[in-house]
Amino acid sequence: MDLVLWNDWHVVADANTLDEHRPLRTALLGVPLRIARDKGGSISISKDDGGLVHGEVRHGFVWACLGLPAQPIIDIPELGGEAKCAVSAGAMAVYASAGRVIENFLDLAHLGYVHAGYLGAEPNTMVESYEVTGTKDGVRATRCKTYQPIRRQSKSQDFLGEYVHVEYNYIVERPYIACFEKSFADGHRFMVMYIFAQPVDEEHTVAHTLLILLDEIWDVVQMRAAQQLVFMQDKGILENQFPKRLPIGAGMEMPVRADRTSVAYRRWLADCGVTYGVIRSPMETAA
Amino acid sequence: MLLYDYEAMGECYAVRLLAALLGVQLILKPVDFYPGRAHEAEEFIAINPLGTLPVLDAGEVVLLDWQAALVYLAANSDPTGEWLPTANAVRFAKVHDWLGIARKLGDSAGAVRLHDTIGLDADVESCRAQAHRLLRLLERQLWFVERSGDDWLIPGAHPTIADIAVFVHVILCEEGDVERMDYPAVRRWTDRVRRLPQFLVSSSVFPLPPI
Amino acid sequence: MTEAVGWYPVAASHDLPVGHIYQTRLFDCPLAIWRASSGEVNIWQDRCPHRGVRFSIGTALGDELRCQYHAWRFASGSGSCTLIPAHRDRPPPRTIRATVYPVVEYGGLVWSSIVDGESHPPIFAHGVVLRAIPVFRPAAAVEGALTSLGLRDVKFFVQPIASDRSVIRGVAIDDASLLEYDALLERLRRELEAS
Repeated sequence: MDLVLWNDWHVVADANTLDEHRPLRTALLGVPLRIARDKGGSISISKDDGGLVHGEVRHGFVWACLGLPAQPIIDIPELGGEAKCAVSAGAMAVYASAGRVIENFLDLAHLGYVHAGYLGAEPNTMVESYEVTGTKDGVRATRCKTYQPIRRQSKSQDFLGEYVHVEYNYIVERPYIACFEKSFADGHRFMVMYIFAQPVDEEHTVAHTLLILLDEIWDVVQMRAAQQLVFMQDKGILENQFPKRLPIGAGMEMPVRADRTSVAYRRWLADCGVTYGVIRSPMETAA
Repeated sequence: MLLYDYEAMGECYAVRLLAALLGVQLILKPVDFYPGRAHEAEEFIAINPLGTLPVLDAGEVVLLDWQAALVYLAANSDPTGEWLPTANAVRFAKVHDWLGIARKLGDSAGAVRLHDTIGLDADVESCRAQAHRLLRLLERQLWFVERSGDDWLIPGAHPTIADIAVFVHVILCEEGDVERMDYPAVRRWTDRVRRLPQFLVSSSVFPLPPI
Repeated sequence: MTEAVGWYPVAASHDLPVGHIYQTRLFDCPLAIWRASSGEVNIWQDRCPHRGVRFSIGTALGDELRCQYHAWRFASGSGSCTLIPAHRDRPPPRTIRATVYPVVEYGGLVWSSIVDGESHPPIFAHGVVLRAIPVFRPAAAVEGALTSLGLRDVKFFVQPIASDRSVIRGVAIDDASLLEYDALLERLRRELEAS
């Protein structure tokens, strides 16, 4: 088991929606877990064999570490006051590996197709050049431009508005956690979104997402509905990707210039020594 | 007309889809079914004591069952009378036969899909087995329908609400790990439904341009 | 599983209206099969070379297949990538193409070959292609059961989907007994799957 995953914190549940009458059964890195909330509100994580699991509640989520935490849970600075509202969209399971889920989150070229009418549309689906840096600490992609229907003021219940230019900055600092900041063309940052991909096993993932709006408060139910809709659109793609485990060896799939963030992400996973949920060489490939 | 709606639920999609095909404007009221469990809260129970979705509030009537909503939309908003053919006893009865199959599909394919996506309880193996049994039945029906030159579940020039009710659960079933590969006539029929004028997409249902 | 040399039926001609993508597997290899508007039939590995998304959830657009993920397009016949919308101002690299398998359309069925051996699928008298019946049993067991039926007016071919799954493809001399044969095969399937 990869120590980089074993000794890291992973989100396993939304702390606010745990039902005290019904403990949540899930799994992390193939290990079954039971997450319960008591009347007093305390949350516990237990394994079938009763073994120890480090657990914490942070940013509204339940985090678990199966080994010895090598670093703290990531910081989300916007939750310290800058955020006007922060909504967890609800954990959604997908029959895909965590690496595939993260890579889809980082992908620009599908926004106008898979999410046509929501996050982009023809004919504005060309992907302009953007900047990518990969270091030992992670991957950053900045000034990723696209054209989306965003309503700047929440005058109606509808999120969709006129098409405007937006820019995404993507940050990956853990193998299966990613975020982006969205800004208007004038540089004004208005949204931050996190995805915490819980690797249930090598081919199954639970995606936990956190949407943070910096300008105004929007209706929670509307935000959840919009984010779940977008996720379900991705689910239709993710579950039809093969092989399920993310190929991170060179030359295994065919990237183009628009895919530079994905290429850097795959290379970083390889450098981190990740083997779980990925395919490192063509010899390992199943159908 | 107001529809209390949860996007990912097949039963809700059926009502939204038929409304779109009929040109009926629905006001959607998203309910935080998951993770908020809003359908169990007082505010929603007051509207529907059963705590189920969708609920169609058509002003003159509030309908608690998705198939009742389909019947109402067709009876109320279809001047052709083709979506719900009441004049012919055989066709009218066959619509209800297929609505029954659609309900069984919801309880099997639909249930395992929601189990796999948002963790609702379901007897997974039994649901999948039942879903395949129903798909085999559909495959036979649609293959022979095609052979006689027709396009829809009930032979005739026009689809009925039966096609819509069955379609939503079939088109979403792969998310519950129920594969459609063994059902080529069903797959061709889903293409035909997707090509209907004013077809409405839903999350993982992708649009299909005209041929 | 051992793959036999030769041609296997993987679809019926009636499975391939223009504008549809048919999905199957042969010896566990996923296939996307579609008919271009030219009439030409394509049998491709069911996997876009970009990010591995199934072609069978894509769209057949005349003489091109469009992948559902990033809308890349691939040409009928060669399988070459003809359009990458993210970079539509330049032609796609020549190396990007679908994996194309051999195809022969004969006798109302569509045939593919895993290992080239014979130059043509088996020759048989044309007739009416029956509804395909998928069975969760190995091809050999299904072939044995079909032989035991002793039917003279139907010729059967069995497509090996995987080691434990196959598809019965029958061709009858005419359509007089279509429903009877269909019922017979469904009963045969029930018996095979119950055992």
